[in-house]
Amino acid sequence: MKELVFAGFGGQGVLTSGLIVSDMAVRYGANATWIPSYGSAMRGGTANCTVKYGTRFIHNPSQEKPDVLMAMNQLSLLAFGKLVKENGAIFVSEMVDASVFERTDVKVYTIPCHEIADEIGHAKGANIVLTGAILHYLGDHTLEEGLSSMDIMFGKKGKTKYAQLNEMAMRRGYEYFEKLK
Amino acid sequence: MAEMMKGNVAIGEAAIRAGVRFYAGYPITPSSEIMEYLSWRLGEVDDGVFVQLENEIASINMVVGAASCGVRAMTASSGNGISLMQEAMSVLADENLPVVIITMVRYGNGLATLYSSQTDYLRETRGGGHGDYRCFVLCPYTVQEAVDMVALAYELAEKYKMVSIIMAEGALGQMMEPVDLPAFLDVKRGEWGFDGTYTNAKLGYFDRNSMTEAEELRERYDLIKENEQRWDSTDVADADYVFMGFGLAGRSCLGAVEDLQAEGHKVGFIRPITAWPFPEKAFAEIGSNTKGVIVVETNAMGQMVEDVAMYMKKHGLQMPVYSLPYVYGVPVIQDIKDDFKKIVNNELKEVF
Repeated sequence: MKELVFAGFGGQGVLTSGLIVSDMAVRYGANATWIPSYGSAMRGGTANCTVKYGTRFIHNPSQEKPDVLMAMNQLSLLAFGKLVKENGAIFVSEMVDASVFERTDVKVYTIPCHEIADEIGHAKGANIVLTGAILHYLGDHTLEEGLSSMDIMFGKKGKTKYAQLNEMAMRRGYEYFEKLK
Repeated sequence: MAEMMKGNVAIGEAAIRAGVRFYAGYPITPSSEIMEYLSWRLGEVDDGVFVQLENEIASINMVVGAASCGVRAMTASSGNGISLMQEAMSVLADENLPVVIITMVRYGNGLATLYSSQTDYLRETRGGGHGDYRCFVLCPYTVQEAVDMVALAYELAEKYKMVSIIMAEGALGQMMEPVDLPAFLDVKRGEWGFDGTYTNAKLGYFDRNSMTEAEELRERYDLIKENEQRWDSTDVADADYVFMGFGLAGRSCLGAVEDLQAEGHKVGFIRPITAWPFPEKAFAEIGSNTKGVIVVETNAMGQMVEDVAMYMKKHGLQMPVYSLPYVYGVPVIQDIKDDFKKIVNNELKEVF
């Protein structure tokens, strides 16, 4: 089983990133849970969700020890970085200063997701760029599976307007990690 | 293929499919998505009626009216919202009206908090309002189980003419996991409902015989205790320690039990699915060599642990009962394992 935490400011799309990953896991035969922070946390401006997936029954859907953290702001890196499992991975945007993070037993990848998103003309898609990089890191699904499952998920919500841009964002994140690793 | 669905939304759709045609409510975190979903979804089905009222008291009283007409009626709320409904719930019990109420439990007293918890176990299992009555209390541990429980809750409510409560932790309403939705049921209006001609027997307030009514109530509840206890259990018979937990706390507890077994501990697990009637029959499996029963809950002081101790006495089980109340959230599997080791090493004392 893998555990992922997606965290950032409300509106940055961290809950959506979690949905993309959990939905993909289920679409390709795994079991998955997605659980958000809610209530006061939601209204306070920060948001996070925990996704777990694997072949077996998932006992605790809540945060325990994530294998992967996606942190889109400084606060999230500091708050959740300490929970990440030994030898786990943290993905941060270029807006996050990873140099202040002191743990050496986890790998921190800085992905210029905002720059890439701006470059393709899809400023709101930085979360999907990061998700593309994480998809590659996880290695459980191909890029094509990721693209197709994301399209189906957004399609069901009636959000097809940005399909091409979203695909490009995921692809660019995936390819960026390919060069980085 | 099972689709990822949010607990509250899945319960809303399950209600439609179970034949619910009337919903009245007032929003409260963490249950609001149920009414948000039904606010538009009930309009898509024949005879579907949705009303948002000024508060929970008005809501439950409209539900009393709908149930009186034989319609599958529902409301949903949480801690303090359900508190406001207690008088009408006692009325539903008194009038033998079947209704399903969903509670997505949040932690705390008074205004309470938004944390997910099991803090209302005692209230729900004891009836809650004034008088002496009980409601069915069904406790799902997955979104799928919650979905499947909606139709079951109505079947039980209508069979025994009483209220069914689906009591889930707030987190279950907020989380998503794969769900297969049940088929649509074709539900007719209940025969008990008013039909507009007043053919029901007239009974004046002072014509009632409280003695015979009490006797009838006891007989009905005894029948329910005999026939409707539901639980899951695993490896209880030769366990050194038996864990008990319901809902998401039980789910996490099961994870701890499987881990401990893999480490070589002889531990078993009982998960109540009905909190009332309490599944005391599960205790028949417990062997005399068992060293203790450990109750995992998310509330401040331990609530189900009182039922566990009481029914163990009834079944002649004399081993110690330990209480692990994790207050709110979903208990962390590692914490349960750590506390188990404290129990084994005698660092944590029994409560009964």
